[in-house]
Parts: sequence; C-alpha cells; structure tokens
Amino acid sequence: MSSESSRRWVTVLGAGVSALFLWVAVRHIDLASVKETWRTARPLPWIPLAMAAYVVGHFVRGARLRFLVRREAGLQVTTATNVVVVGYASNNVLPARLGELVRAGMLAERTGIPLTQALTVTFIERLVDGVAILFLLVGASWATHTAGWIAELARVGALVFGVALAGLGLAVFFPAALGALASRLSQPLGRRAHDTAVGLVTSIVNGAAVLRRPLDALVIGVLSVVVWLCESAMFVAVLPALGLAPSPGMAVIAMSVTNLGILVPSTPGFVGPFHFFCSQALLAQGVGAEIALAYAVLVHIAFYAPATLWGAGAMLWYGVEVGATAALARAARRSHRVETIGGVPMQIIAQLAEPPKEAEASDFDRALTEAILPPGGSAAVVGDSARFLAGQIAALPTRVRTLYAIGMSVFRFWVRVRYLRSFCGLDLDRRRAAVAGWAFGTIAPLRQLFRAPRSTVLLAFYEHPAGLATLGAEERRHLPVATTAPEEAHG
Amino acid sequence: MAEAVRHRTEVLVVGSGAGGAVTALELASAGRDVAVLEEGGEHADDDYGKSSPEAMRLLYRRRGMTPILGQVPLGYVEGACVGGSTEINSGFWHRTPREVLLRWHAQFGLADAGVDDMAPHFDWAEERLGISKYDREWPKSTRMFAQGIEAMGWAYQEVPRAAPGCLSTNACASGCPTGKKRGVSRALWPTAREKGARLVPRCRVHQLLFERHRCIGVLAEVEVEGGRRVLARIDADHVFVCAGPTETPALLRRSGVKFHVGETLRVHPMLKVAARFPETIDAHQSVLPLLQVKEFWPDVSLGGAFFTPGHLALGLSDNWPETSDRMQRFRNMASYYVAVRGEGRGWVRPSKLGDGATLIHYDVGPGDLKNLSQGLARLCTLLLAAGAEEVLPAVRGMASITSEDEAIRWLDEALPKANLSLTTVHAFSSCPIGERSEKCAADSFGKLRRYENLYVNDASVLPDSPGVNPQGSVMAFARRNVQHFIDRLS
Ligand SMILES: Cc1cc2nc3c(=O)[nH]c(=O)nc-3n(C[C@H](O)[C@H](O)[C@H](O)COP(=O)(O)OP(=O)(O)OC[C@H]3O[C@@H](n4cnc5c(N)ncnc54)[C@H](O)[C@@H]3O)c2cc1C
Repeated sequence: MSSESSRRWVTVLGAGVSALFLWVAVRHIDLASVKETWRTARPLPWIPLAMAAYVVGHFVRGARLRFLVRREAGLQVTTATNVVVVGYASNNVLPARLGELVRAGMLAERTGIPLTQALTVTFIERLVDGVAILFLLVGASWATHTAGWIAELARVGALVFGVALAGLGLAVFFPAALGALASRLSQPLGRRAHDTAVGLVTSIVNGAAVLRRPLDALVIGVLSVVVWLCESAMFVAVLPALGLAPSPGMAVIAMSVTNLGILVPSTPGFVGPFHFFCSQALLAQGVGAEIALAYAVLVHIAFYAPATLWGAGAMLWYGVEVGATAALARAARRSHRVETIGGVPMQIIAQLAEPPKEAEASDFDRALTEAILPPGGSAAVVGDSARFLAGQIAALPTRVRTLYAIGMSVFRFWVRVRYLRSFCGLDLDRRRAAVAGWAFGTIAPLRQLFRAPRSTVLLAFYEHPAGLATLGAEERRHLPVATTAPEEAHG
Repeated sequence: MAEAVRHRTEVLVVGSGAGGAVTALELASAGRDVAVLEEGGEHADDDYGKSSPEAMRLLYRRRGMTPILGQVPLGYVEGACVGGSTEINSGFWHRTPREVLLRWHAQFGLADAGVDDMAPHFDWAEERLGISKYDREWPKSTRMFAQGIEAMGWAYQEVPRAAPGCLSTNACASGCPTGKKRGVSRALWPTAREKGARLVPRCRVHQLLFERHRCIGVLAEVEVEGGRRVLARIDADHVFVCAGPTETPALLRRSGVKFHVGETLRVHPMLKVAARFPETIDAHQSVLPLLQVKEFWPDVSLGGAFFTPGHLALGLSDNWPETSDRMQRFRNMASYYVAVRGEGRGWVRPSKLGDGATLIHYDVGPGDLKNLSQGLARLCTLLLAAGAEEVLPAVRGMASITSEDEAIRWLDEALPKANLSLTTVHAFSSCPIGERSEKCAADSFGKLRRYENLYVNDASVLPDSPGVNPQGSVMAFARRNVQHFIDRLS
C-alpha cells in the first residue's frame, strides 16, 4: 500500500471512530439545554485556572522526559517540555495519535538519539502514564461510589498495561537475552536484516535502561502521578464553572476514564471519544446528561487550546532553526565558480558583508571606566581602558551581552532615581560610590554584573604603560602596548 | 565526474591546534592530500609577547570573553589562531597517567589505549616539542613554592615543558616572542607544510555538509585578499573536526550531529591566589612557578600561575576596596592555584541567535567544592610556611589569609560557592571516544558513530578528565587516532 493511500485510510478510520463516539455521546441529549448550561456557565476564573493546571502538568512531563533521557542527552526542561507539547499539539491536529510519532521524531532531532530509542522512550512515557492513571482511578473508585463499568474499564486497562509492562520488563531486566533472541531470530534473514534487528533491539534496550535502577523508576513513577494529578486539577477546576461542587474524586474519575478512553486512535484532538468518555464518567456519578456534555466540551477546550497554540509556536521556533541550517546547506549546492584559496579548491557561494568595525567606547563606558580605575589615571589611560572595555563587551556572546546591557540599563535607571542625575553627569566621587555599591555590595547578581567591566578595566590599566608607571614599574619587555601615542600615554 | 574529483580535497582538518596540527602533519607525512582550515590568523614572532589586552585581541577566541556559565561561572579562554591554545599556554607537559587510561578503558570501553600503546605517541610528541625541564636556576617564585612544599613534606614534581631553552620572559599567555615556548605553529607546522599540508588561516567553518551518512565537505567563511570575506563550499572525502573542546561540539551540533555530542564537557576548575612575601620576587619578570604538588592527586593539584600586574589586579578585584593597595607591593607577590579534577559536568551548544557564539555551561560538583576548599587550605598553609606574609584568594569576602589557623579551617568547611571566582583553561570530553555506544560520541579512534567519514581528533575526544594538564594527552591521542585512520585508508 502506498504511503498516500495508507494515510487516507488512517484518516477515514479515525474519523469513523470519532463520529461513532460523538453520535453515542449526543444521541439522547437535548442540545438546547446543553446550550442553556453554557449560557449560565461561569468561565472565570475557572477555565483559565484549568488551563494553568494543564500547563503545569506539561512542565512536569517535560521534567520527566528530561529525566528519562538524561544519560543519553542533556535536554533542558524547556526543550523537553516543548517536545512533549509538540506531540500533544500534533495529536490535536493529526488523526490516529500520529502525534506520538512526531514527538519521538522531534526528540530524536533535538538529542541525536536514534529514532527507535526515541520511540521506546515515548512508549515508556505512555506506559507509565497508563499505570499512573489506573492507580489514580482505582484510588478514586475506592474512595467514591462509582458504576460497575468503570471498575470493568479499570480491569481491562490493567490487563492491557500489565501485558505491556511485562514486555518492557523483558527489555529492562533481560537486555542480553532480548538481544540474543533478536539475533537468533533474524540470522536466517541475512546480515543486513540481522544488523538492523540487533540495532533496533539495542536502541529499545538503551531506552528502557533508565528503569533498571529502582530509585530512577520511583522518580519516574512519582513524576507520572504528579502529571496526572495536575491533569485532575484541570478537571476539578472546570466543575465549579458549571455550578458543580469541586469534587476531587469525581474529577479524578473523569480524568482517568477520559484518558483511558482516548487511547483509542481517532480524529485530531480526540473529538468524539473525549466527549463520550468524559460525559459518561460524570453520568456514572449522578450528574445530568446535559451538564455532563457541557462539562466535557469545556474541559476539551481547556485541554485543546493551550497545547495546540503552544505546540504551534514551538514548532515554528524549531522549524526556523532547523530551516536555517537547511538553508545554509541549500546555499552550498554546487556553485560553478571555483577558486583556489591557500592552495585549496573552494566553490565560492557568496560575497559576505564587511566584518563589524572595532567597538568604540561610549560616554557611559568612559564614565564607568573612570569610576572603576584607581585615582590619578591620565585621560589617555582612561580612554584606552574604556576602549578595551567596549571591545571586550562587544565580544561577549549575544545572550550574555544582552543580559549585560539590560543590567547596565537598570543600573543607570537606579542612578537617575537615586541621584536625580544621569550616571555620566555625576561627579567622580559619586560615580565611584554608585559603582562600589553594586560591584562590592551584598547582592550577588549586582556584583556579577560588574564583574566583567571591573576585571577588564583593571587588567587594561595595569598592562598599560601609564598604569604600570603608577606602580613604578616598566612596560614589559617585548610589549609595545599602547593604542595611544606613548607621550600621551605617559602624560 | 573528472570535474568533481578535481575540486575535492582528500582530507579536510578543521582547526590547527594541538589536535589539528598533529592530524595534518601525520596525514601529510603519509603522503595524503590534506588541507587545514583555521578560523584565527597566522602570526609572526613580533605579534607575540604583547600586553594582555593586545594578545587577547590577536590570539584569543572572542578576545578571551568566553565565560562558562553555571551556578558558579568560570572564566575560560582558548586560542583562536594558527596553533590554537598551544600558542598561549604555558607548555606544561604530562603523559596521561596509567590510572586514568585504565579508568577510560573500564568506563568507556576505550580500546588499544594502554600505557604501552600510547608510549610511542608521547615519545614522538615530546621529541617534536623538545619537552624538557627548565635548564637555569629556578626563578624566585618557584623557589618560594619549593620552600613551602619542603616545609610541608609533600610529594611534588618539576613539570617538564614544551619550552627548551626558555628565556624566562614571562610571555607564555601572549605568545612566546622568543620562539622558545614551542606552540604547534612553531613545532609542527613548518614540517607539515614542507610535507605538503596546506593551511588556510582566517577560514571559519560554519557547517558540515552531508549526503545521508557521509560528510561531503564544509561550508566556510574565508578571508581573501584585501580583507574581503566569502562564503565557500569545500568538498572533501574525509573530514577531521579538531576545533577544540568547545567549538568541535558546537560545530557538530550546528550541523545536526548531536548523539552524545556536547553533553559531557569536563573541565579542571581552578582557584587562584596571590601570595605576598617579605622579599622581592619579581614574578612579573620570570617564567611562572614550575612545580606542581602531587600529594593530593588526582583530586587536587597545586601549582603556579601566570603573573603580571594586570593579572594580579584581576585576581584581587573581588575584594578591590580592601586589596587595591597591595598593587604597590606587586614586586613582592606571585600567583599560585588550586586545580581540581572536575567532578561536575557541563554542556556545549551553538547559540541560536545567529551570532556564531557557543554557549558553555558547567555545574561545579559538590566534590569539586570540597576539593577546592581543602586545596585552598593546603595551598595557603604551604605559602605561609614558605614565608608569605599573607595569601589573597580570589574569593569575595576573604581578602587576606595571614595565619595557618585561618587557612586550615577550609579543610573542614566548604567555601561559599557564590563568592568564588573560578577560572579554567583545561576543557575536554565534549565528544568522548570509546566502544560504549551509550555514552560515547565516537568509536575508540574518533570516528563519529553513524557517519562513514567524519572524525573528531582534539581535546573533546578525551573520555573524561585526565587530571593533569591535557596537551600531552590531546597530542598523543590525536597521533594514535590519525595513524589508525591512515592504516585503514591504505
Ligand atoms: C591559557 C592556556 C594555558 C594552558 N596551559 C596548558 C599547559 O600548560 N599544559 C597543557 O597541557 N595544556 C594547557 N592548556 C590547554 C591546552 O592548550 C589545550 O588542552 C589544547 O591546546 C587543546 O587542543 P585542541 O586541539 O583541542 O584545541 P586548540 O589547541 O584550542 O585548537 C583548536 C583550533 O581550532 C580552531 N577553530 C575552532 N573553531 C573553528 C572553526 N569553526 N573553523 C575553523 N577553525 C576553528 C581554533 O581557532 C583553534 O585554533 C592551556 C590552555 C590555555 C588556553
């Protein structure tokens, strides 16, 4: 089957499943009273609160993903969270849970781990999610009065996840046996197939290795429960919006049933199954059918909107970044202009702009330099040191330089408020006092801000002939330093 | 087809420092067609030995402004010129200790890298660089240190250097103007060129180009005559990335090669102190102290640091209001350091802001802090025993230590993290080699996993901290790896 036609089948099948659930969910419902329920609903502050709980849950998922891959790659929590959210957003716009593939693909791209390993990690996340949800469902069912079918659902879920866990256990505790099995079974298929199979199993085993240490497994388990408690908080927060009591038990059951239900691959955003399972969970706890459906719709919005928007933003950001690399590679397509530079044949692709000129010292740089330097420095040594400072700051990586610029703006603003004058307009004593207050004060970030200018300027001063002269020292042998004329510098 | 072949170089090497120079020389000696692309400029002797600000502008990456960020930021510098960091280093030389090689084998599955395997490569490099001990009377800063070590009864070593006939001009960090300190630009490049290696200075590689799992060349920014800059594609059959411990992983990641790349940066964090003696030392006019205390190795080493009035001011700047008056006594002062093995871990990433910068992060581990604290206690007692009137550490709020009682306290207490001014010039392990695919970016000989013709061969390949000054290990491993490559090729 071509990939085109299989994609079509996936879409049609997903749409069918969704339509069926949607129809079952709404067939006995008076849609007019659902509308009326929404009209009287109080979205504020509940829906934003629900969304916030959901977003926090994603950060915990990000922390868990980071932990899962930490031996293989150093993902930052924000990047890991973006990977998770891109997966969710993709599930919201693609059918049949294809978002899981997108998520694994992006994890592989961000970290460089093989795709099979990324898929294993995604599989583990899904599995521990399932177990955590079941754990919460059983707890909530025990604490509240629930219908028999929910217990039935929990039993089926336990069976499915139990089998999957057993498979994972094999990869976790018997990696060598699994490798040997893969090798033996694939040997008759030829060397290529054998190598592929062994490579595949190695990736899976590497992905699963994180669960080998009991403490690590515990951390992952605890984080998973926290993830689903956050999601339950979203379900709790929507209850009062429809005038229902914020019952944690009811919310946990609704959350668990809905999430187990949407494991069934369906349309983008799980439209249909989500509403069906969510409303059924409320019905089973004695809530009226119209309110239950209205609730399902509201929770779905809180679930759908933030992840989709956030995911789209993250994809755009990473897309631009990956696109820039691809654009450079495209620019490097064979050019016919070949030149030999330094004896090496090179294909010239483009002329580049002039490199930026040496940074000039601003009035602020000069005023700052003078405030840091020991008294008695000539105008020449102050000028040269300030120029050195400007050049050094310009050489910092943009991120650090931006932080420096922001910090110095805050400092200048503070000076204006404190002395009612600009920093450059202050007399030298006050400038020195202002700088000393920050550079040698008790607040660490303020001290850090002044570290670069302080050390840069002092280095320049005491390597300058005029600075050395204040110590009665001579210029170093072999060291023609000055960027200023020597007479001026010594003056 | 013939057209395409004519425009290819057989082996491209990115970076001309300790790793790149060895790689190029060996390839050229084996009759291979090799070209080296170097971001920095090529400098004659009269560019060397200038003041620190001028040297930073000419020879250092980003003028020396490449901080390592983390809970405790570290000042870090590396060379960006023909010869790389070997042009601005002090030339201290160590072989990789046996214990370290054994650990690399055990933990990273590093194959064929025992003491005997490595010995011929060290012999080769030591001969090229003229590794030897200082052949004159030790300068005063070294003699004072020796006096302290003797008083403490600790094991130490005079460290041999790549500076035969050193004239003690104290210009190591700004490029040796006498040519005695043998950076690889002086020690290896002339021979490499004679043998046919080509070197393109002021050529910064932006990206590696791939066709599936083959690296087909690089995209580079090159300065041509008249200071004009062009973007050029350079095709090659094989590519060695030797751009140093921070730029190699940044370049690889920028090009989409990420598996275990830039995840495991290691450094030797270093805390400096200045010691003030009653007599004149004139450390600014002599080579830096030549001894290292080995009593506490591998966790802690004590040694001597580069000293000029400018560098002294930099070291005192954390407590400047209390210490600035010591500048007048600079002739009585010398600088020393505590360096620790580095148990923390860091990462390297290319900046996403299009400025070509590299973001470097390192978290000083709790073990590092303990070792730094104990190291400081020991260094201070040593210097006080040597007759120092006071020791001034680069720790805010600790302007001066004048008694052994004050010093010894740090054997049991941890230094306040937030007040430390740490530095490092030893970085490595950002693309570790070995057979353990779950933690190594490349195989035991530097071939990157999943790529047919892409290699790393510089400080980034050292699987873990060597615990000693790294240039020797970098060069010996580079030769071993490239010889393995040449054997395979033929
Ligand atoms: C101040 C200082 C003192 C030191 N003292 C000692 C010592 O006494 N003993 C010791 O053993 N070690 C010392 N070291 C460390 C030692 O010098 C390094 O470990 C060693 O040089 C690392 O070798 P390398 O090949 O990895 O990198 P380098 O020698 O730094 O070479 C890397 C080269 O690649 C170039 N490059 C980077 N990116 C690109 C790109 N994109 N395109 C083209 N070219 C690029 C750089 O410009 C540089 O020239 C010192 C280092 C410094 C900075």
